[in-house]
Amino acid sequence: MNQSERTTQKQKYPRMAYQYRPSQYNTPPDQGFLWNIFQRVDKDRSGSISDTELQQALSNGTWTPFNPVTVRSIISMFDRDNKGGVNFNEFSGVWKYITDWQNIFRTYDRDSSGLIDKNELKQALAGFGYRLSDQFYDILIQKFDRQRKGQVAFDDFIQCCIVLQRLTDVFRRYDTDQDGWIQVSYEQYLSMVLNVV
Amino acid sequence: MRTDVDGHDARTSSTGYQGPTGGGYFPGGQPPPGDPYRGGAPPGGPGGHYGGTAPPSGPGSQYGGSAPPPGGHYPGGPTPRAPYGSYGPGPGGQYGGGGGAAPGATYGGGAPAGGGQFGGAPGTPYGGYGQHHGGPYGQQAPAGNIPPGVDPEAFQWFQSVDTDHNGSITLKELKQALVNSNWSAFNDETCLMMINMFDKTKTGKIDVFGFSALWTFMQQWRALFQQFDRDRSGSINTNELHQALCQMGYNLSPQFAQSLVSRYGGREAQGAVQLDRFIQVCTQLQSMTQAFREKDTAMTGNVRLSYEDFLSSTIVRLM
Repeated sequence: MNQSERTTQKQKYPRMAYQYRPSQYNTPPDQGFLWNIFQRVDKDRSGSISDTELQQALSNGTWTPFNPVTVRSIISMFDRDNKGGVNFNEFSGVWKYITDWQNIFRTYDRDSSGLIDKNELKQALAGFGYRLSDQFYDILIQKFDRQRKGQVAFDDFIQCCIVLQRLTDVFRRYDTDQDGWIQVSYEQYLSMVLNVV
Repeated sequence: MRTDVDGHDARTSSTGYQGPTGGGYFPGGQPPPGDPYRGGAPPGGPGGHYGGTAPPSGPGSQYGGSAPPPGGHYPGGPTPRAPYGSYGPGPGGQYGGGGGAAPGATYGGGAPAGGGQFGGAPGTPYGGYGQHHGGPYGQQAPAGNIPPGVDPEAFQWFQSVDTDHNGSITLKELKQALVNSNWSAFNDETCLMMINMFDKTKTGKIDVFGFSALWTFMQQWRALFQQFDRDRSGSINTNELHQALCQMGYNLSPQFAQSLVSRYGGREAQGAVQLDRFIQVCTQLQSMTQAFREKDTAMTGNVRLSYEDFLSSTIVRLM
């Protein structure tokens, strides 16, 4: 792959981050810049970005539609009053959230293919502090490899991390003695997982 | 750009698991804003979104204890089933009181009593369920166009739901087609869940075959919903949900049903769930009950799980 192809691919994760340059990491993007993006993403000019609008604005780098489950997770995270979309204020959070993930993903996706393999996923999650067995990574890949390439794309990677975070968080709440084991009843188990999914 | 992966402390490491640790990996060295997770996390969502959300049923005070098993804890036979046989037997005749409209036979026979309240608005194909049985076959497309194995009625609906006529149904199209009895659109989570259940190809869209299966699935849930909506209010309140879960074979407390309603009911529908949430709740209950059951090999109603066991058994059952 030559250099120009690489550059194009690198730009592909969130399309709306096209103009986001590394030199801007330390300074929050200015409001005019974000407003510009917001207006382009908000195709129906409703003042709120819906799942579909956000999905169309995002790219996972592999020319396949951005995972709608990830889109839903992200929107629901920032949609404070449960209106089914994000307004401009909330959108700046969404935008930062996605570009942060993008920066993380890029450091592991060394060949800029838009996909990370099992080893790269391991490195990424180990970097977040997870200690998980080799077999567990097979389960993760199987679950979050929507494209069935044995690798995980950017959008699925985000969803994978969100799910892991939520499950870890709820597990930790139940694991009061911090020994890595819990004993739970049927109802407790359901409460734990239905709160997450 | 450099990724700095340290920063997890020894205390949590020694427990064998550990959540994401914060901070160091951001290229600019900035901590994520409004990080909702106590342990620090990859890109933080808005502040406080997850933090402090205790499980809704509030069982927190008794965990770790070895309470006696509550008897027959989980259901024998799940209800309207997911496609492709993942959830075992379909609805049998166990529900009783269906006025002759036993689940599983709903669209063969007449509409269940009360079906009329879902009655058809233009452009809301599922809403027309109660009225649709009269004579749909008159308008039916020629049989030759119907792919083998696809229900003719489902085929008709498919064509009207597939508004761009490209042969597959997207989340947006599905959402536009489905309404609750209060005319609210189906929520995104339920639509997505159903698409994922019936989208064999993982493209995020469903073809006519998947749609046919989804259509049957919807009909069965709608009939059950109507049956359990005893006061014919168009929604299922906490009591009705508890009774419904009992009748479906789940041994769950009224408090648990209450917690489900408050979790899924939404702000606008205080104390009750609409059809979309009912489908979502019941489907997830089925799936997660299955996950629990696989771990509860001794059938005691209690399981002891390691961190990784918990993660893997839950993740494979995620809808």
